[in-house]
Amino acid sequence: MEIQVTQSQGVTVVVPSGDLDMGAADQVRRVLTELIDKGQLKLVMDLGGVGYIDSSGLGTLVASMKQARAAGGNLKLCALQDDVRSIFEMTRLIKVMSVHVTRQEAVASWG
Amino acid sequence: MMDEGSEGTFVLMSEPQHLARLREWLRGEFTRLNVEHHEQFGLQVAVGEICSNSIRHAYAGLGGKPIHVSVRGSDDRLVIEVRDFGKKFDPQSYRPPDLEAVVEGGIGLHLVRQFVDELSYDVTQEQGTRWTLVKHRRRG
Repeated sequence: MEIQVTQSQGVTVVVPSGDLDMGAADQVRRVLTELIDKGQLKLVMDLGGVGYIDSSGLGTLVASMKQARAAGGNLKLCALQDDVRSIFEMTRLIKVMSVHVTRQEAVASWG
Repeated sequence: MMDEGSEGTFVLMSEPQHLARLREWLRGEFTRLNVEHHEQFGLQVAVGEICSNSIRHAYAGLGGKPIHVSVRGSDDRLVIEVRDFGKKFDPQSYRPPDLEAVVEGGIGLHLVRQFVDELSYDVTQEQGTRWTLVKHRRRG
């Protein structure tokens, strides 16, 4: 999986591309943990390039969200494709994670 | 690493990096069987979760172990079987996830059930577990 990390208005934007499955979950977790450990706590993950996610991928995002929140930040999501969004709805994560329609909206939400 | 037989079967090795190849094969099978696109995604998730469980639990993360996946279809249903040869599934050890608790794991079977109409398992073989997933098909 390709993962780009960029900065936008003081927010760290993580942009994975590919399938977020059991095979990619550890890689995503390592990237997010490294960012949080470095104090980059305003995080947005743009999932526009992710067409598939499984329970391992979800688990990684939940763990990273908890890690970021415990450190005083958060991991916000944006640009979910319809199929991926349906998984967040089935697991009710759509209610507890901060999910935005566009990257601009997610970045702006940090104020 | 994989063997694609003539009867809709695929042999996956128990390593997470091979799951993408499985999905590619499933897409081909589902297209061949005229499964609607929006149902293909859910069935890929369901089969992928069963195989991930086999990798994680039946084989305890050990690579190089076989997982057999077969797909067959008729006018009224799709039947997908996943067979591993590792530690048998133990229903006593399974706890349904508490979705209100924002859990990090243990939601694989919950997801499977969202996408199929029937889910069963058979541990009567000498080794491993045979999972059967059934999806009813709407007529006409």
